[in-house]
Amino acid sequence: MLHVAATSGGTRIADLFQAAPLRWLFPDVEADEPKPGALVNVAGGLAGGDSLEIALHVEAGAAFTATTPAAEKLYRSLGPSTVIRTQVQVAAGATCEWLPQETILFDQARLDRRLTLDLEAESRLLAAELLVLGRAAHGEQVSGGSVLDAWRVRRGGRLIWADALRLADPFRDAADRFALAGANAAATLLLAAPDAAAHRELARDCADGAASLVAPGLLVARWLGEAGAVRNALGAAICRLRTAALGHPPRLPRLWRT
Amino acid sequence: MAATTTTTTDAALARLMVWLSPAYPVGAFSYSHGLETAVEEGAVTRRHELVAYVEAALLRGAGAVDAGLLALAWRAAEAGADAALDEIVELGAAWRGTAELALEAMQPGAAFASVTLAAWPEPRFAAFAARHPGRLTHAVAFGAAAAWHGVPLRTACFGWLNAFAANVVSAGVRLVPLGQTDGQIATAALLPAIAEATEAALAVEDADVLGSAALAIDLFSMRHETQYTRLFRS
Repeated sequence: MLHVAATSGGTRIADLFQAAPLRWLFPDVEADEPKPGALVNVAGGLAGGDSLEIALHVEAGAAFTATTPAAEKLYRSLGPSTVIRTQVQVAAGATCEWLPQETILFDQARLDRRLTLDLEAESRLLAAELLVLGRAAHGEQVSGGSVLDAWRVRRGGRLIWADALRLADPFRDAADRFALAGANAAATLLLAAPDAAAHRELARDCADGAASLVAPGLLVARWLGEAGAVRNALGAAICRLRTAALGHPPRLPRLWRT
Repeated sequence: MAATTTTTTDAALARLMVWLSPAYPVGAFSYSHGLETAVEEGAVTRRHELVAYVEAALLRGAGAVDAGLLALAWRAAEAGADAALDEIVELGAAWRGTAELALEAMQPGAAFASVTLAAWPEPRFAAFAARHPGRLTHAVAFGAAAAWHGVPLRTACFGWLNAFAANVVSAGVRLVPLGQTDGQIATAALLPAIAEATEAALAVEDADVLGSAALAIDLFSMRHETQYTRLFRS
């Protein structure tokens, strides 16, 4: 649980509680960047039965960029799912980026993940999730396991967007040309901002037309394809949208670059 | 099959047939569920590809999510559980892969509520529709109405999925284009998928487990927003 708040000296940590295997690290701020936080899984991977709870609260006037230092790996499970519950709360007048690096599912891994975003009318948020099926570097084909990767977005307490990727064992959907179409990676990028509609053309340009204003002030872009290509396209879109919509520098968070 | 037999009265059957008829004025015919872009991009050029597209929508996409919500709405309505029903309404309204798929669910939902209130008045449905102006998807409104009018759950689910499939096939007949007979062959070929999607929807007990794998259809639907020539609204 991490609270960050605005002070006269910039965004500071107001409250932090953490327990293994998760640890927040706070790298030095680059002069033109918002305060960064890196969420580290010191266990180095997740197994079936592991359960993580993450809460991030960005208070009014604060600006924060959350990311992870590396890809998260989900190992093969013999039964139970890995449960990840993340809640990101962005107050009115706060700006937040939720930009973890990719989650890699090993064959027969089981993921049950829910990302809940609690916003106000005047909050600004850029959030991404990138899911990779199989270790691409090993040429691993994922035959099964399970995925339930859900998003819930509330604004002023009211549910405005719900979505979930659901893959049931065995992964017949992965090959279906109208489901995952043989892709081994899927990414979603969400921009919530009062002026999100103004950035729709840019999002379309970044996502080969696959962007949509799904609710007032809520823009969603999606990619489906080969893991490396999807990561590059998502990264490029993050750069352009964080500049256009959040006023940040046109580069990825440092941990994505190293 | 004895365990799955449900008794449908003539009164319930009449409602089911009328409400799901293309003549019932909900405007479903103007939506293609992203198919217009799939055809434009060459992904659907023949009957078997149209069948595969509709199967994906039924089993992995909006059909799976909407029929699951329909079943949950039916049960909540039957039980008189207003708070649970209202949560399903909110989830249905927020479940929108794309702006056009949202329109495809919401506009016929509003039209269904409006015409059903006028032609088939029922006090519980009237109170329900009044609580959720502009927030009812077609599947959720239909599920609640079916429960209160005595249409059995399995029949309601199967019927709704069949109408959903027939509507996309009808769009395909116009877009690919296919002959009318080919369209009917496609509809007949979809029966097993409709039955499987019905079973899946009836098995849903918790809205938190709903999800879609039909990302390719979402991508077609997003690109449809900027397609140069469009006959359909989705």
